[in-house]
Amino acid sequence: MNSKVISTAALALFAVACLCIDSPAQDARTLVKAGFDYMRGKSSFSMVDMTIHRPDWERKMTFEAWTKGLKNSIFRIVAPAKDKDNGTLKKGKEMWTYNPKVNRVIKLPPSMMSQAWMGSDFSNNDLSKTDSLIDDYTHTITGTRTHDGKKVYLIKSIPKPGAPVVWGMQKLKIREDHVFLAQEFYDEDFKLVKVMTTLQIQMLGGKMFPKVWRMQKAEATDEYTELNYKKLSFKENLRDNLFTISNLKNPRR
Amino acid sequence: MYFQLAWRNIWRNSRRTAVIMIAIVIGVWSMIFLSAFMRGMEYDMIKNGISTLTGNIQIHQKDYINDPVIENSMHSPIKLETALKKVLPPVAHWASRIRVNAIASNARHSSSITLVGINPIPEAKVSFIGNAINNGCYLKPGDMRGIIVGQALLNKFETKVGHKLVLMSQDTDQEIASRSFRIIGTFKAQLQATEKQFAFVTITAARQMLKLKKGISEISIILPDNADANPVATGLKTELSADLYQIQTWQELLPILNAYIEIFDGFIFIWFIVVFIAMGFGIVNTTLMAVFERMREFGLLKALGMKPWWIIKDVLLESFLILIIGMIIGNLLAFLCVFALAQSGIDLSAFAAGAEFAGISRIIYPAVWIEDVIISNIVVIILGLLVSLYPAAKAARFTPVEALMHT
Repeated sequence: MNSKVISTAALALFAVACLCIDSPAQDARTLVKAGFDYMRGKSSFSMVDMTIHRPDWERKMTFEAWTKGLKNSIFRIVAPAKDKDNGTLKKGKEMWTYNPKVNRVIKLPPSMMSQAWMGSDFSNNDLSKTDSLIDDYTHTITGTRTHDGKKVYLIKSIPKPGAPVVWGMQKLKIREDHVFLAQEFYDEDFKLVKVMTTLQIQMLGGKMFPKVWRMQKAEATDEYTELNYKKLSFKENLRDNLFTISNLKNPRR
Repeated sequence: MYFQLAWRNIWRNSRRTAVIMIAIVIGVWSMIFLSAFMRGMEYDMIKNGISTLTGNIQIHQKDYINDPVIENSMHSPIKLETALKKVLPPVAHWASRIRVNAIASNARHSSSITLVGINPIPEAKVSFIGNAINNGCYLKPGDMRGIIVGQALLNKFETKVGHKLVLMSQDTDQEIASRSFRIIGTFKAQLQATEKQFAFVTITAARQMLKLKKGISEISIILPDNADANPVATGLKTELSADLYQIQTWQELLPILNAYIEIFDGFIFIWFIVVFIAMGFGIVNTTLMAVFERMREFGLLKALGMKPWWIIKDVLLESFLILIIGMIIGNLLAFLCVFALAQSGIDLSAFAAGAEFAGISRIIYPAVWIEDVIISNIVVIILGLLVSLYPAAKAARFTPVEALMHT
């Protein structure tokens, strides 16, 4: 009887110990995954103002975006009139762009994946490989902070060996209610390359969501791209035929 | 008697003879030296072209040249191998490769490159890469993550040996294939463009990245001592079906190089003519002067019974002697210059950017072609004698009366 209790207790202790060893990494990964799921929702529709700022010029455009899960998304520019109806479709890892002026859909070849999307500080890769952060990296929690009275997890993400990612490290700040506060991209010498920060967290589309996203190169402080959500609504489901090449060419909504 | 007469006549006005001789020396020297310089450049360009992954002969799938994508690979290398073993001379080397366009990127930069999957050991005997490693080490067979890039690319990417490089390309399913490699070494090439263009991985790594089972993009063949590639190519063509394979010699693969060489030939020819025209006028002028100076003498000779033909012979012999002496000195000087520069070469680093544009390497070793030497000498002697005919004929036409009236 006694020995049984002891052995059970030992077993329990062992299990707890295992959990303790195993859990931080596991925890960090679930945190990142949960954060992604929260920010993306199941499906979403949004209308966003994008400001591309450079030392001697600034450009503004407005686009509409539909997303479904992590895999599918479609973007279409609504303003200014010059760029109206330019669109980008993303399905899985593949991307297509549509230019109404030449009435052509182009499947982005690998050579264009690292180019800037619509001239911004986001690259096509940033859009098409968003989910690589979850699977290609090992995440660890390095500390916690408080922000607006809520706990913020600082997460260090190191790419798994052999993973096809260019970064040497990423650092994430995720609030306990799953809101992303910052994502920092480092090169292999652990020097900061670019930072994405979110600002003005407020109720948007029925949940707390950052209204402003800013992507900034580390070396040039006066070069950034800012996304400002005008409208955002999360939906349970969007039709699959929204994410097709024909819809990219001829919007039917 | 003619020889003695001509020889003494030449040295009657030794300064004048020396001047015209110097003109001939410089002309001959510049013809030989410049053509040696051009040939050196030409040889270098061919050598560069062939060793920069071209080889003397290449075999591709027949659509590959027009559309160098992974779908156009050759899928039965074994058949090719047997054909190669049958046709190639035993001293020839060959290597198979996978070659596709790809994008290399790291955290800060990205650029389009040519990804070359190689068999490290045979490749070292075929192209420049085997002894071009200046940093780190060469690929080992079966290395799945190592990549070798050019020094210039490494500098452009602000990275170093040991760091990661992500490559993206299209795989056989037409999807985007990406794979991370670690830079294990860098190579130096004659041209910066080459350093920026090529990145080498093992053929097994390239196959895995591109989902290619055992296909290859090309076979490159090196023949010993740059032997003529055409007979071997013809032999391969009879062995391999033209519906499946395209066999090309370097002349067909590098048409620009071929055009360059033709331009060089033309340039050397034009240079010969220009030099000769300048020299020819000098010769005519001096000989004419020498003839007019001796008008009375020729008149006297005529009066003594010398036939016009003999006078022509005499004047021509004088020019011939000047030409021969000038040519011997010019040849000697040119060979000395070439010999002096043969070891160190002519360093063009000061004009590296311009030379690079033309595809010329930084140091040029002059190369003497015996054909050029013979042609330049023949040109000088024959044309030299031809232009001297005019003053000679003039001298032969003097009559004793005219000559005596001329004071």
